[in-house]
Amino acid sequence: MVVLQRIGGLLVRLVEVVLVLLLAGMVAMVFVNVVLRYGFNSGLTISEEMSRYFFVWLTFLGAALAFRDHAHVGVETFVRWLGPRGRLICVALSNAIILLCAVVLIWGTWRQHAINASMTAPVVGISMIWVYGVTYVTGLAIGVMALGRFLLALAGRVSEAEMARITGDYGPDGAGRAE
Amino acid sequence: MILGVFLATLFAGLAIGLPVAFALIFCGIVLMSWMGIFNPQIVSQQMVSGANTFTLLAIPFFLLAGELMNAGGLSRRIVDFAVACVGHLRGGLGYVAVIAAVVMASLSGSAAADSAALAAILIPMMKSAGYHVPRSAGLMAAGGVIAPVIPPSIAFIIFGVAANVSITALFLGGIVPGLLMALALIAAWAVVSGRDAVAPLPRQSARERGKAALRAAWALVMPVIILGGIRFGVFTPTEAAVVAAVYALFVGMFVYRELRLRDLYGVFLNAAKMTAVVLFLVSAALVTSWLITRANIPAELTRFLSPVIDRPRLLMLVIVLLLLLVGMVLDLAPTILILSPVLMPVIGAAGIDPVYFGIIFVMTCCIGLLTPPVGVVLNVVSGVARVPLGQVVFGVFPFLIAQVCVLLLLIAIPELVTVPLDALR
Amino acid sequence: AAEIQTRTITVSNGVAETHPVGNGVEAMRECMAERTDGKWTLNAFWSGALGGDLDATQALRSGTQEMVITSTSPLVGIEPALGVFDLPFLFSSAEEADAVLDGEFGAMMSEKLEASGLVNLAWWENGFRNLTNSVRPITRLEDFAGLRVRVMQNNIFLDTFQTLGANPTPMAFGEVFTALETKAIDAQENPFVTIDTSKFYEVQDYVSNTQHAYTPFMVLFSKPIFDTYSPEEQQILRDCAIIGRDVQRRVSRELSQQSLENIQAAGMEYNELDLAEMERIREAVAGVYERHAATIGQDVIDQMMAELARIRGQ
Ligand code: NA
Ligand code: NA
Repeated sequence: MVVLQRIGGLLVRLVEVVLVLLLAGMVAMVFVNVVLRYGFNSGLTISEEMSRYFFVWLTFLGAALAFRDHAHVGVETFVRWLGPRGRLICVALSNAIILLCAVVLIWGTWRQHAINASMTAPVVGISMIWVYGVTYVTGLAIGVMALGRFLLALAGRVSEAEMARITGDYGPDGAGRAE
Repeated sequence: MILGVFLATLFAGLAIGLPVAFALIFCGIVLMSWMGIFNPQIVSQQMVSGANTFTLLAIPFFLLAGELMNAGGLSRRIVDFAVACVGHLRGGLGYVAVIAAVVMASLSGSAAADSAALAAILIPMMKSAGYHVPRSAGLMAAGGVIAPVIPPSIAFIIFGVAANVSITALFLGGIVPGLLMALALIAAWAVVSGRDAVAPLPRQSARERGKAALRAAWALVMPVIILGGIRFGVFTPTEAAVVAAVYALFVGMFVYRELRLRDLYGVFLNAAKMTAVVLFLVSAALVTSWLITRANIPAELTRFLSPVIDRPRLLMLVIVLLLLLVGMVLDLAPTILILSPVLMPVIGAAGIDPVYFGIIFVMTCCIGLLTPPVGVVLNVVSGVARVPLGQVVFGVFPFLIAQVCVLLLLIAIPELVTVPLDALR
Repeated sequence: AAEIQTRTITVSNGVAETHPVGNGVEAMRECMAERTDGKWTLNAFWSGALGGDLDATQALRSGTQEMVITSTSPLVGIEPALGVFDLPFLFSSAEEADAVLDGEFGAMMSEKLEASGLVNLAWWENGFRNLTNSVRPITRLEDFAGLRVRVMQNNIFLDTFQTLGANPTPMAFGEVFTALETKAIDAQENPFVTIDTSKFYEVQDYVSNTQHAYTPFMVLFSKPIFDTYSPEEQQILRDCAIIGRDVQRRVSRELSQQSLENIQAAGMEYNELDLAEMERIREAVAGVYERHAATIGQDVIDQMMAELARIRGQ
C-alpha cells in the first residue's frame, strides 16, 4: 500500500513537471516567433503546430491531474440539502457517470486510432496519434480514479476532499478548496 | 424536443454534483444516443479538436500573466495606488476596490482570478475598518466580473473563436461597457455603504500619491502594451498574451524582485492547472455544441424567433433574458460555446452587429457568474473572504441590479457600444 | 425504387453559403430530390459551423459524418499524393485543370483516397490563388523579398515562398484577417472570390495576378457510410455531384471575374505580371518540385507531367 502511494506520488510529480515544461515550451515557441519576426524578419515554421500540440497535451494531462485534486468545478447547491446517505448516493452516481465518460473517451480513441495514426502533421510530420492519443492517458487516469471512488462510495466511504467538492462545505480556513 | 433532452440531462447531472465538464460529456453521450448516431469517436475527436486551436493559446498565456502579476507583487501595488488616490473618501475602500478591479481587469482576462486577488487583499482591510463584510465581499465579486469585459478577456477569445468574430474588435469594443459597469458599481456602493460606520483612512499627500503611482507604473504600462500592441498592429491577440506573460515575468523578477527563480515552477504549474480546467470544460462543451448544431437547433431557433427578428432591440432583450436564465446554472465558457452557434444565425438574420452582440453576450454571461445557484465568482469570493455563500449572494444583490441596469441601457442605446468602437478601430 | 431508403446526408464546408459551392450544393440537392422522389435530405452546414475541413474529413473516415467539401491542401497529412496540387505554377489555365481532374489522373487520385476511407464523388473548384499584400505590387521576382506571407499549414507552400525570398508564416485561416489588419503579417494568398468574401480588401492594398497555384475542391463522402448504400444510391451520389460540379465551376468562374472587379472597386490596386517575369519566377521555384517528389511520390508527379504534356499537345 505504501509502495503504491509512493508510486502514485511520483507519478503526480512527474505529470506536474511535464505540465510546467509544456507551458514553458509554448511560451518560448510563440514568444521567440514574435522576436524573430521583428528582430530578424524570419520565424520558426514549426511553432504554430508544435505549440498547439503542447496545448492539447497540457489540457488533457492537466485535466486528469485536476480530477485527482477535485478541481473541476461543479454545482454544490443541491447536494448540500441532502443527508449523509443521499450525499453518498450522489457521489457513487457521479463517479459511475464519470467512469462511463472515461470509457467512451478511450473507446472512441481506440476506434479512431488507425485514422489518426495514418495522418501526419502537415509541417512537423509527426503521426497525429501522438496528439489525439493523449485521450488514452486522460481516459485511463480519470477512469481508474472514478472507479476507485465509486467502489469506496459503495463501501460507504468518501474522502473529505471529495465531500467538500460536492457539497461546498470547506473547513473554516477554506481547506480543501482547489482555487 | 432535443433541447428538452439536453436540458434535462444537464440539470440532472449538475444536481447530483457531477462536475460541469463531465455533465457536458454525459449530455453529449445522451444526445447522440437520442439522435440515433451514437459513436464514441464523436466524443474523442471533438474534444481534442477543441483544444487544437492556436487562437485559444491566448488563454494559458493570459492566465500565466495573471499568476505572475499576483506572485510578482503587481496586484498589491495596484491596490496601494488606488488607496493613495481615493482611500480617504467616505466608503473609500469600496472605491479602491472598483478602481483596482478596473486596473486589474485591463491586465487579466479571468473573473475568478481577479475577484480572488481583490478579496484576498481588500477584505481583511475592510473588515478591520468596520465595513459590512458580506456586502464588501459582494462588491469584490461584482468588481471581478468586469475582468472579462475590459480587455484582455478569455471570454472574448472564446467567443471570437466560436462565432468567428474579430477578437481585436471585441477587445476594443469592451472598454467602454466595462467602464460603465465600474461606474454603476461606484454609484451602487455610494448608495448602500452610507450606513456603515467607518472611519475613513487618512488623506495622503501629493508626494505619497506620486510615489504610489510610480511604484505601480510598471503594472500600469501593461494594458498599454497589450492594447496598443494589438491596436497598432504589433501583435495578434495570441502574441499579445505571450508578450504580457513575458513582461510580467520580467517586472516581477528584475524590477520588483519579488519573484525568485524557484517561485517560477509553482507559478507555471498553477497557470497550467487552471488552463487545463478551463480548456477541458471548453473541450467538453464542444461535444455538446457539435451535436446541437448537427441537430439543426440553430435553424429552429431562428424560425422560433422570427416574429421579433425585425425588431433588434426586442430581440436582444429576449436573448438577454434567456441568457440570464441560462447563466443561473451554466458557467461562462460552456454558455458561449453552446449558444454561439445557436444564436449567431439569428443575429445575422436580424442584421445585428456581431461585435456588439458579442459584447452584450459576454456581459450577460459575466452577470451569470454572480447569480446562484451556479456562480463561480460567488464561490471563489466566499472561499477567499471566508463568508458563507448565502451571505455573499445577499451582499452582491445591489451590485447585480446595478450591472443589469447597465446591460439594459446598452440594449436601449447600442450606440454606447458602437460609437466608441468605431472611434477606436 | 425499393433500392432507395430515406436518408439525411450531412455535408459541411468551411466557406459561406454565398460561395459558388453554395450553388453547387443547391444543384446537388435538386438532383437528389428528383432522383430519390424527395427521400433524401441534404443538410448543409456552412462557414465551419461543424468544425474545420480537416476535422470533418476525419469524421468522414470514422463514419460519424457523411460528406465534406474541402480543398486538397489540408489533407496532405492523410494522403501525401494530394500535395501534387500544391506545387507552384502547375496548371496554366482552368481548362487544363478540368481536363486533368476529370480525366485519368483525377480518377487515379480518387482511387488513392479510398484506401483512407474517403470516396471522392467529384472535383469542384476553389480556383487559382493570387497574392495580396500591403507593401508593394508584385511585378517581378525581387518583389517577394522579405514579405511576411500567411500560408496554409503546408510544407510545399512554405517552401515555395521561402524559395521566392519571402518569409512565410503558417497560420489558421481564422487568424488571417486580424493578422493582416494589425500588420503582424504583410500578405496572404487566396482565390479572388475568397479575397472578396473575406473582405481582405479592407486590410490589403495590392493584389497581383500571380496564379501561383490552382486548388481543387473535393466532394468527399465517408467510405464506411458509402459502403452501406445500395449500388443505385451510390450512383445517385456520383451523378448528382457531377451535376453540382458543372454548376459550381460555371458560377465560380463568373464570380471570380466579378470578385476581381469588386476588390478593385473597394480600392485595391490590381496588376498582372508580364510573361518574361512569370517565366523567371517559375524557374526560381523549379527546385520545389524536386524537393517534394519523395513525399508526393515521383510516379504521381511523372503521371501529372505526362498528362499535362499530352493536353498541351507537346
Ligand atoms: Na480583462
Ligand atoms: Na449563475
